[in-house]
Amino acid sequence: MEILSQLILNGVMAGALYALMALGFNLIYGVTRFFNLAHGVLAAIGGYAFFTLSKMLGLNIYLSVATGVAIAGLAGYGFDRLVYSKLRKRKASNLVLLVASLGVFTTAQAALSIIFTSQFQTLSETAGQEALSVLGGVVTRTQVIIIFSSLASMLGLAALLNGTSFGKAVRAISDDEEVARMVGINTGRVTGYVFFIGSALAGLAGILVGFDTGIQPTMGMGLLLKGVIASIIGGVGNIYGGVLGAFLLGLVENLGIWMIPGEWKDAVSFLLLIVFLVFRPQGIIKR
Amino acid sequence: MDYILHLATLVIIYAILGLSLNLVVGYTGLLASGHAAFYGIGAYSTAILTTSLGVNFFASMAAGIAASAGAAFLIGAVLSRFDGDYYALVSLGFNVIIYSVFLNWHGLTRGPLGIPGVPRPALFGMDFSSGVFFLALAACFLALTFLAARFVARSSFGRVLKSIREDEKAIQVFGYNTVYFKLAIFVISAGMAAVAGSLVASYINFVDPSSFTVMESVFILAIIIFGGLSSLKGSVIGALVLVLLPEALRFAGFPQAIAAQMRHVVYGLFLVVLMLYRPQGLFGEFKL
Repeated sequence: MEILSQLILNGVMAGALYALMALGFNLIYGVTRFFNLAHGVLAAIGGYAFFTLSKMLGLNIYLSVATGVAIAGLAGYGFDRLVYSKLRKRKASNLVLLVASLGVFTTAQAALSIIFTSQFQTLSETAGQEALSVLGGVVTRTQVIIIFSSLASMLGLAALLNGTSFGKAVRAISDDEEVARMVGINTGRVTGYVFFIGSALAGLAGILVGFDTGIQPTMGMGLLLKGVIASIIGGVGNIYGGVLGAFLLGLVENLGIWMIPGEWKDAVSFLLLIVFLVFRPQGIIKR
Repeated sequence: MDYILHLATLVIIYAILGLSLNLVVGYTGLLASGHAAFYGIGAYSTAILTTSLGVNFFASMAAGIAASAGAAFLIGAVLSRFDGDYYALVSLGFNVIIYSVFLNWHGLTRGPLGIPGVPRPALFGMDFSSGVFFLALAACFLALTFLAARFVARSSFGRVLKSIREDEKAIQVFGYNTVYFKLAIFVISAGMAAVAGSLVASYINFVDPSSFTVMESVFILAIIIFGGLSSLKGSVIGALVLVLLPEALRFAGFPQAIAAQMRHVVYGLFLVVLMLYRPQGLFGEFKL
């Protein structure tokens, strides 16, 4: 019984992280209609930006988180301006964009390895590791912070999309970019902002992973896949579906390793993806 | 001289990988991004069978082809119902999972330690262990792969693949079950990739999981996109250029660890620049 509640707690925790990845991925997919595989490396960029500011330069932790998130956002914005927006202008197919994002991913990940070496770095020190007991399971304070910052980001994003004219513009572009442009929305600029927000969310996920376990340059691919799997099983392009998918994925993955060793988590989540693709390819909530 | 032989052998191995991947990506228009998984299954089959069971190299290659084709059949049965970005993503995910199998199934693969002591092939008392002989053997396999790929591409089966690429709905109307065709070419391509895997395991005398990451798949993809999709000649030339180009970094005097990462930077940028300025590559007749 104790192990079960611990696994469920771990699942919720993982779900909160995957939800952050899925939110950004889905937001970007919604306006650009391509699978941005470079999304994962932005988590690594966020993590390393925080690492540099806080551990190497000794900056205040909150300031470092905010700056790290902003740096990840700016990196995503930069990738859009330098690569994707040019391809979109040329009406390149979504596969061309996907291959370009694979190139961006490879380059950025290798650049991180060159600058910071491939070594595993942990972000948290002893602080924040005292354990709390919840429903028979144990969570660290870091993990509580993860849950709350993830929920806060979800609510913030929902408020942004539903309550502001910017949100209206984003939804209009997601519905139909041509029409959105015709009614006078500057789609290029809005898409740029969406890249900033989505990438900043990935950066936050990267920093939180760093607090929970640690960072290394290759962390991006795993997080990307989790975010994309969450999006697909939740219903791709639907940001609420993505959140639902993320928590489902987190739970299934952690309950799936009840009887088998933990390193097969990724295989469990891939299996979940396959099951969805075979039986419900449109995801839980159809767009 | 040894160095030139070494590079020539690597070019040949990547040319085989490029040719096989081009059948799926170039001819059929499906962006398979997990080719290193099948390359790895071939390599591990040879490594395991030759070291622990003492099986002959050529028999181990046949087993590798069978194992790789079998794995491709299983995942392809799901994959072939999709196309476009879903196809790319699921094949990429498959690569990640196969990599984690190589890494975590200690009983079979020895995990991150890898399998050392993979022997060079010998046949009827002929020994291929010297560099020149191995190069000749690899060249024979490249020639076989090239002929097989050309045969597939020019057959009526190949014409169906091209029409799937151009308009899948239209060819379905003519009564072709496109799922079977997509599955068949995926399995064939995986079998060919296993040939390259067996060769590399025996050539380097060692396999470990780090050679079969997603990065490796991206590299093979870069080779065929640079050479040109749907061009077999392009795949060979793409392998030649992309294997040799990063070698310049070695002479620029970067330390080993950084040079390996610089190689990734080079071909990552290569992909981005190709997409921006010449998405059809050198000889491509098909643009993504």
